[in-house]
Amino acid sequence: MKRVAEDELIQVRTTVNGRSYTFSTEARVNLADALRYELGLLGTKVGCEHGVCGACTILVDGKSARACLMLGVQAEGRDISTIEGWATGKELNPLQESFRRHHALQCGFCTSGFLATATELLRENPTPTREEVRERISGNLCRCTGYETIVDAICDPEVAAFARGEQSA
Amino acid sequence: MSKDQVVEIRKQAIGQSVPNKESATLLTGRAEYIADISLPGMLHAAFVRSPFAHAKITHIDVSAASDMAGVELVWTGADVLIHTPGITSSVDREGFVPTTQPAIAHDIVRFVGETVAVVVATSRQIAEDALELIDIDYEELPVVANIEQAHAATALANEAVPNNVYFRNTRVNHEVDDAFSNAALVVDGVFHNNRVSAAPIETRGCIAQHEWTSGLTTFWSATQMPGILRTMLAMFLQIPEQTIEVITPQVGGGFGQKAHVFPEELTVCLLAREIGRPISWIEDRQENLLSATHAKHQLNSMALAIDEAGKFLAIKHHSTTDGGAYNCLPWTVGVESECGAPIVTSTYKIELARAETIEVATNKCPIGSYRGVGYTAGHIARENLIDRAARKLKISPFEIRRRNVLLSEDFPYTNATGLITREGTFLETVNTLERMVDYDSFRQRQTAARAEGKYLGLGLSIFNEVTGMGTRALNFLDLPITTHDTSTVRVDPTGTVTVTTSLVSAGQSHATTLAQVAADALGVPVDNVVVRSGSTANTQGLGTWASRGAVIGAGSIGRAADVVREKIKQIAGHMLEVSPADIELADNGVRVAGVPTRSMTMAEVAGAIYFAEAAHPENFDPTLEATATFDPADLVLANGGHAAIAEVDIDTGIVRIEKFFAVEDCGQMINPMVVEGQIRGGIAQAIGSCMLEDLVHDENGQLTTTTLMDYLLPTSMDVPDIEIEHLETPTDLVPGGIKGMGESAMISAPAAVVGAVNDALACCNIFIQQYPISPERIFQELQNAPN
Ligand code: FES
Ligand code: FES
Repeated sequence: MKRVAEDELIQVRTTVNGRSYTFSTEARVNLADALRYELGLLGTKVGCEHGVCGACTILVDGKSARACLMLGVQAEGRDISTIEGWATGKELNPLQESFRRHHALQCGFCTSGFLATATELLRENPTPTREEVRERISGNLCRCTGYETIVDAICDPEVAAFARGEQSA
Repeated sequence: MSKDQVVEIRKQAIGQSVPNKESATLLTGRAEYIADISLPGMLHAAFVRSPFAHAKITHIDVSAASDMAGVELVWTGADVLIHTPGITSSVDREGFVPTTQPAIAHDIVRFVGETVAVVVATSRQIAEDALELIDIDYEELPVVANIEQAHAATALANEAVPNNVYFRNTRVNHEVDDAFSNAALVVDGVFHNNRVSAAPIETRGCIAQHEWTSGLTTFWSATQMPGILRTMLAMFLQIPEQTIEVITPQVGGGFGQKAHVFPEELTVCLLAREIGRPISWIEDRQENLLSATHAKHQLNSMALAIDEAGKFLAIKHHSTTDGGAYNCLPWTVGVESECGAPIVTSTYKIELARAETIEVATNKCPIGSYRGVGYTAGHIARENLIDRAARKLKISPFEIRRRNVLLSEDFPYTNATGLITREGTFLETVNTLERMVDYDSFRQRQTAARAEGKYLGLGLSIFNEVTGMGTRALNFLDLPITTHDTSTVRVDPTGTVTVTTSLVSAGQSHATTLAQVAADALGVPVDNVVVRSGSTANTQGLGTWASRGAVIGAGSIGRAADVVREKIKQIAGHMLEVSPADIELADNGVRVAGVPTRSMTMAEVAGAIYFAEAAHPENFDPTLEATATFDPADLVLANGGHAAIAEVDIDTGIVRIEKFFAVEDCGQMINPMVVEGQIRGGIAQAIGSCMLEDLVHDENGQLTTTTLMDYLLPTSMDVPDIEIEHLETPTDLVPGGIKGMGESAMISAPAAVVGAVNDALACCNIFIQQYPISPERIFQELQNAPN
């Protein structure tokens, strides 16, 4: 294993939202901060920095991950997907659109994390039950909505149709 | 025109669930919150915080930190004291003890988490590293860790507060003793409410920038009250107010916690002026739990006297607030018990009342505002005593409330604390909840479940809510404050509408709901209106708290729009050759009443006003914008109720909230989807606050719950789906008949949650009066139960 000094900058090559990036970071910088401040992708939010609130949830190689619990250097060679990549041009994807319709967000601070968790769930299972959704999103905290409309949004039939398409793609 | 003028608004967009205009921004990560703002040359601040609840700072050496590469400046309390004594907070009431909280503690620290020093560095990491190098010696002082020790007063939590008492008050003092001695039934209890945090998912944060050449200071803060913050920065830091602009970016939830002015904000502002570069401070979660205000920490003894028919005769209430070491600004420690006492009789006809309050000083973080401010704890006590009385009288919890709520024939009714109720659907609320719960079949189900060893319970709570806090409402709560919030309405040259308001949003969808109001006031489509808030540059006001947005927004926008409307009628009348009184605004234009073919579009009218002097009547003033304030003529009272069904597993002590029901009457709803969002979010907080959340201090005043692993927020597994029904009793105090409602669920729903658990365990003679109701608490109660 390569040893580095505390303040030595390490070069990281990664893919985020389909684009290749190279950035330099200190070993101790977490992935949430690296995305936010090295790459300027500010849509990933930080609510606790200790792995509980889920606000920083992103997709790493298709799996949901807490960006505050990973280091920036662990992005090396990974395929990362964040909220900035989920709309196509100026069109919200069906899950985002469903969140909008169902009023599944108020202050919006938790939203990118919920979208990441839900995206992963829907790829595995396009038609989850409400209980399955509740179970899966229980690692994401929302202080505003009371969760019900988030469950509604994820269980929306239009989302299921989209998710099936994603799954077969 | 007076500031309480209620203008007419023709309802069209109002009442529709218009989707939130901000959604796309939030759903694509493009919204800008405080931590997303970066300015050229920006530096980062981090604070050293006290590890002791009460101690003397005997030695502090910042030299190693100052010498660290990347560190620009280190300040201690002594450095900041040159510029400001700190935050002095008081309320103009006889005998109230004010306090001054230093911007950074000097000499003495009075709670764990109080700021002791600040480092400014080129990055947050460097600033945090430098904190470690600051060498501080403390000499511990005796700690006042709880209400009991505060009363004993063998030590003082803050030497400015004699006997550890900030204030005591008797809000109402009827002769109740006879009623109690003659009552057929007296129910009473001592209720220990837990200390909680509003814990918005976004923590606090601010950025200050000062340009010495122009003298202008720009201050970004995730605040609910930019107007007050600006005035307080001016007052406490001696900065000319006109040189300060406070900007509020997107705010990630506030719930009252961000409706304060904080010492960190003062410090960051001073540092930016000292260094001449922008400075950002973003709080971490531990700091938020330690030092953003705490809430709801009351100890209440309450007793209710009842006659044989189940009628309430009198209520006795004594409430103590564990206030912490300083008064928060602007609310002071009065934010809990002093606010709760005036509504102690709630929606019930209770002729006799005695309500006494006291606020004590402890070595804890200051108590501050959190949704349902002051009311929550008293509601839990009263509603649970009512349920208990119903059980003793063998009548249903609905029936006992039916026998005691105010009825329409009672209106206007002046209650024991002087609150005048002019309207409300109290009986309808009880009946609606009874139907929603399907009460008889619930009791059957409860009995059947018990036979299988399952413990089901039903809790009920009804409420009224003082909303749209203006001068009258604040004065009723004994807060001698005058309110004066403004909005500006402008019809643009192309006929679109720009609204500027002092009411910032922290998730309340003002950009949509206030656009609905403005659209209906001017007869234009919602999409033709933009609502701008978030800068003190254009409007002045106290901010978004106490369910003010809808009421103050509708009132001020309505009044401003009315002025613009008259201008439009004047010119349209002139151009269409009719009297201005015959002009109507509708369908994005104007028309002659009764002759819809004689019309003009709003763009034509606005164009004529801005660009075609020839079309103007004589002496026409073409200003197509107006600024107006609004302050309702009286208290705007909303009402409603909550019911919860819970299942208690008596082997594990785990409680599952199975179902939740809410009835809300907030008058004419602007946007039902937004209203329901507020209800659901408030109910989640209600479940959290009485089942999970607890800021625990040990005997040394040390907070032991400093992460979200220890301070448990409710998850999607804790909050059930919620059934909501609406009643709509419009008020004539606000345009459109609109009332506020944002706090309702945190006023009343906690009582229903607690009531459901108490109903489930009533068969075991258990009545829980200490919160949160954790599995350990249930286990303890079962151990101690009489049988
Ligand atoms: S910020 Fe990563 S889980 Fe809270
Ligand atoms: S929408 Fe505010 S925290 Fe979820």
